[in-house]
Amino acid sequence: MMEIIKEATLGSINSVYTIAIIVIPIMIVLQLMKDYNILNKITRPFNFLSKMFNSSNETALPLLVGLIFGLSYGAGVIIQASKEGNLDKRDLVLVTVFLAACHAVFEDTLIFVAVGANGFILLGSRIVAAFLLTFVLSKKMTSKHNNALDQLEVEKAQ
Amino acid sequence: MFANSIKIGFKKGMETTWMLAKVIIPVYFVVTFIQYTPVIDWIAEVFTPLMAIFNLPGEAAIILVLGNVLNLYAAVGAISAISLTSLEITVISIMLSFSHSLLVETAVTKKLGVSATKVVLIRVGLAIAGGIVIGRVGMLL
Repeated sequence: MMEIIKEATLGSINSVYTIAIIVIPIMIVLQLMKDYNILNKITRPFNFLSKMFNSSNETALPLLVGLIFGLSYGAGVIIQASKEGNLDKRDLVLVTVFLAACHAVFEDTLIFVAVGANGFILLGSRIVAAFLLTFVLSKKMTSKHNNALDQLEVEKAQ
Repeated sequence: MFANSIKIGFKKGMETTWMLAKVIIPVYFVVTFIQYTPVIDWIAEVFTPLMAIFNLPGEAAIILVLGNVLNLYAAVGAISAISLTSLEITVISIMLSFSHSLLVETAVTKKLGVSATKVVLIRVGLAIAGGIVIGRVGMLL
């Protein structure tokens, strides 16, 4: 019994320690990025994403924030952006789907690397899956979206 | 401002670590204890056929359930308590990174006005597909 308690105590403290030395530096870097508004400055190169998905350029920021900081932060920015009326329903769905598949890439990846996972395979498959899924959906939703708009126009006309 | 950012960042890091510790330590204890009881064999046996799809041992089911119902940190606690190979940990990580904390995160996505059922289906679907692909490909390597 003592053996088990000892094993559990040492093992759990060890995992918390491994995670602490990863999480604390990440939080410092993320805080610096936030305080110096670095994200706002670097969204431009990421506009190719919104081009690819044929969504508005306003989607780049929530996408980037969610990718780096996590779903909750990303959602905050998305809610803010949609309040300001910059995102339509289609943008919202695409960003949410992308972020559902792939978010908080630094934190999530490194936590698993700390316990022995292969980070390249892990991050690679997440990003590829998020891209493919969002891309396919963006192709599908264009027609749907247009139809809905057309219908709206028709209804208005009547 | 620079020093202040570092201070806030450090504080947030400590807070996160503390939050993690509160989850990881109890889970680690429970999983370690379970491993010395027949319960682990029972769980392993029940889930072996299912987990074999992903090329994982039956015990891995505990990790997947913890990660999906609670959060990644509970799963990490369980991963480090159960002995697994590097490939197995990678497969579990991929599955969990697609689909985790379903209760909390689905509530978040629901706030965005996107169908919760669809988001959950997409995430679980990706986890299953990712687990099968990487589990199989990894076995060949």
